[in-house]
Amino acid sequence: VRGGDSTQVFSRKPVATIALGLLLLSLAGCNGGTVDRHALKRDAENVASLATEGELLATDVSKGRSTKYFVRVHAKDLSRAASNLEDALAERPTSPGITSGVRKLSKLAGKVSGELQQLHLHPTDRGVAASLKQPLSDDADAADKLAK
Amino acid sequence: MKIFKVALGILAAIGGFVDIGDLVFNVAAGATFGYQLLWVVVIGVIGIIVYSEMCGRVAAVSGKAVFDAVRERVGFKAGLVALVSAQVVNLLTLTAEIGGVAICLQLLSGLPYRWLIVIAGLALTIVVWVVAFEWIERFFGYGGLCMLVFAVAAVKLHPSWGAVGQGFVPHMDTESPVLYAYFAVGLLGAAMTPYEVYFYSSGGVEERWGPKDLGLNRLNSMIGYGLGGLLSFALMIVGGALFLGEGIEPEFLGTIALGAEVPLGQIGLLLGLVGILFAVSGAAIDTLFSGAYNLAQFLGWEWGRYRHPRGAPRFTVTWFVLLVLALGVVMSGVDPVRLTEYAVIFSAVALPLTYIPIFLVANDRTYMREHTNGPIANALGIVYLVVITLIALSAVPLMILTNVGQN
Repeated sequence: VRGGDSTQVFSRKPVATIALGLLLLSLAGCNGGTVDRHALKRDAENVASLATEGELLATDVSKGRSTKYFVRVHAKDLSRAASNLEDALAERPTSPGITSGVRKLSKLAGKVSGELQQLHLHPTDRGVAASLKQPLSDDADAADKLAK
Repeated sequence: MKIFKVALGILAAIGGFVDIGDLVFNVAAGATFGYQLLWVVVIGVIGIIVYSEMCGRVAAVSGKAVFDAVRERVGFKAGLVALVSAQVVNLLTLTAEIGGVAICLQLLSGLPYRWLIVIAGLALTIVVWVVAFEWIERFFGYGGLCMLVFAVAAVKLHPSWGAVGQGFVPHMDTESPVLYAYFAVGLLGAAMTPYEVYFYSSGGVEERWGPKDLGLNRLNSMIGYGLGGLLSFALMIVGGALFLGEGIEPEFLGTIALGAEVPLGQIGLLLGLVGILFAVSGAAIDTLFSGAYNLAQFLGWEWGRYRHPRGAPRFTVTWFVLLVLALGVVMSGVDPVRLTEYAVIFSAVALPLTYIPIFLVANDRTYMREHTNGPIANALGIVYLVVITLIALSAVPLMILTNVGQN
């Protein structure tokens, strides 16, 4: 059985340094810096996604096709994600010319978060769920418009 | 009776095929690119079949598991690099799987997440300590068969079957080729994740496979993993048929379960959640054992679940420490889905360090006698070594360029 002579092939010091550098760069990329047009588009798509998913969930609840715990937990997750976007968009500096769009999206994210919170608080109430479908659908459309 | 035993093994392999990495990447790929990346799953499934058959054969003929071979074949220093990278990836994956278990339990019970992490940790410890090895794999494998509900959901969502068929032909219809490449790398990394072969080969040694079991090894790897790949197809089709059209970006395990609820209602949701729970629990145990197997094999310790814990104390302590470390990381509040993406990408980086030694040993007559690789296994093995080397080199740059798939 052959042994140690192939260690040169696997020499990893430079690779490890490069990998660490790239990882740090990657982590640095996940920042909460200035909102530019691209970031606004991404965040608007995120809000639209959360609203649409909330609408799907609300539709299932209104038809009695889901379970209490699933709705309670998943609606809370979606609501928290929308709330995080609301906070981030309200505080972060913006590129010139898109400030009003960013703040509008922040308010929209807050509205979506509130509606999803209602679903979280009333996971078996078909009436509440039915009443949330249209607002969530409208929010998704509004976010889609901001993404364009 | 033997056919029955083989069938049970295959069923367990199907149910145990999917882990949190497959769940996250297949559904996200479907939600982003529709069915375009189905061909990548095929490549990944063939790759894991080729190499699991190879390392199962090595285990059956030589009685050596992967890290026995790594230590003996590539030497201590290079082996140590492989060991460290494998253990880091294993720990990341284990952490993500345990987080996934806690999330599933929460979606089923509504109980607080942190309590469920503790409960998941205790349950895994008890199962690993008490249940016999073969029954651990079967129990979670059979439970994982509930994931077949996603195959039914995929059909019920009425996808365009023509588009699904086109997905098996490599093509790229997108304005984001870098993101497409990132998902391709992620899908391959998830399908060929190294812990699967660590566990598979060590399991073969644990079950005392010999040359007479080579047929069983071939059937298990080909049919089990092959049919298990159907679950990956189903997940991607659900992502494409439901989430792509709606513009939903799946960021939560609950979103994946919603993929079964929307077409099938409550029963679909419950089966989906139970299937995911068993799949990620089984994968958590596989990664836990893999970490302990790797270290024990590399350092030449006594190892094996078939031994009494006192007969392999360092092996037992290793898996327990890994479990505690992973629980600690999950308790810190890290997002398991996000962590999964990192785990899959870094496992892609570690692929060559796992598969090159297997390939070398499978061609070494000192170990394999007359059971060395044939021409087909060698041809496929070399092609896949090239593929995984390209993946390993491109994984981290793609992760950075796409901001971890966020484009």
